[in-house]
Amino acid sequence: MSFLFGGLLGHPLRTTLAVGKFLAFTHLFLEYGYSTAPAVGPSMLPTLEILGEWLLISRRHRHGRNVAVGDVVAYNIPINDSFGVKRVLGLPGDYVLLNAPGSGNDSMIQVPQGHCWIVGDNLPASRDSRMFGPIPLALIKGKVIGRIKPFRFERLENPLQTAD
Amino acid sequence: MLRFVRQFSHHLIGYATWLPPLIWFNTYVAQVTFISGPSMYPFLNPQYNESLKRDLCLVYKLYAQWNLERGMVVTFRNPVDPDKITVKRIVGLEGDVIHTRPPYPQPTILVPEGHIWVEGDGDKSKDSNYYGPISHRLVTGRVTHILSPWKRAGRVRWWEHASSRSQP
Repeated sequence: MSFLFGGLLGHPLRTTLAVGKFLAFTHLFLEYGYSTAPAVGPSMLPTLEILGEWLLISRRHRHGRNVAVGDVVAYNIPINDSFGVKRVLGLPGDYVLLNAPGSGNDSMIQVPQGHCWIVGDNLPASRDSRMFGPIPLALIKGKVIGRIKPFRFERLENPLQTAD
Repeated sequence: MLRFVRQFSHHLIGYATWLPPLIWFNTYVAQVTFISGPSMYPFLNPQYNESLKRDLCLVYKLYAQWNLERGMVVTFRNPVDPDKITVKRIVGLEGDVIHTRPPYPQPTILVPEGHIWVEGDGDKSKDSNYYGPISHRLVTGRVTHILSPWKRAGRVRWWEHASSRSQP
């Protein structure tokens, strides 16, 4: 008892400061290390379920650092205030299709400097770069490195392999 | 000697625990920063041609992406180089028609949903005329005060600078 009131909770200001410092440290880890987020929606369907997905996001890949074509990324949607999860299909300099394959329009563009082209895996049910164009790499929050299931963790690997 | 090392490291760790709160404050509340480059000449760095001194500014970060207005001086992540923070003035908001300047390919443009049109005050500015309208999600803060040099120190009166080149 005397330990609690004498040392730990003794000085209200000191306790508040310690809690604030701890929260700030946690924030630092969630912002620059690793964070988790729920993913809702049909746009990534074969890869991610519509409901009940918790993702582990590596914030060390923020602003597109070391992101490769084929990676799944969490990004800030440029035209509203929420965030989305999509797959990177093109990095600066790559040529990408403006529309989905088989849509009758095969025009292509080159992804501009500092931007990337992101598309959902479920093409008909995804609003992505085909709608709002290439997004700045600065809007990428991080790379999705796995799904957190109850009592297990599934890694999300980049499915692209180099051709022999 | 050992006692000195122990005490010294104890103090060092004590000071280091203040780094996370400082970073949080600088990211979400306010930051004091130097402005480099001539892109906002003559509003910021008017002494650009005469000395190496740079303006010291207060950048307010709280709710930076909300309630943006024409004329505001904002900092944002450069769409061309994601690791760079750039400072420019907002010329147009979403839905505005902008009369562009070279090197932009079209003479006028309608700013799309969720985007803003930013330009520097000076001639040497790589702004929206170079990379097009930018998403409001790139905005990180607003320049609200000039702190140094003392002669021009004070509040940034951005509402006096709303451009006439945009039509809502």
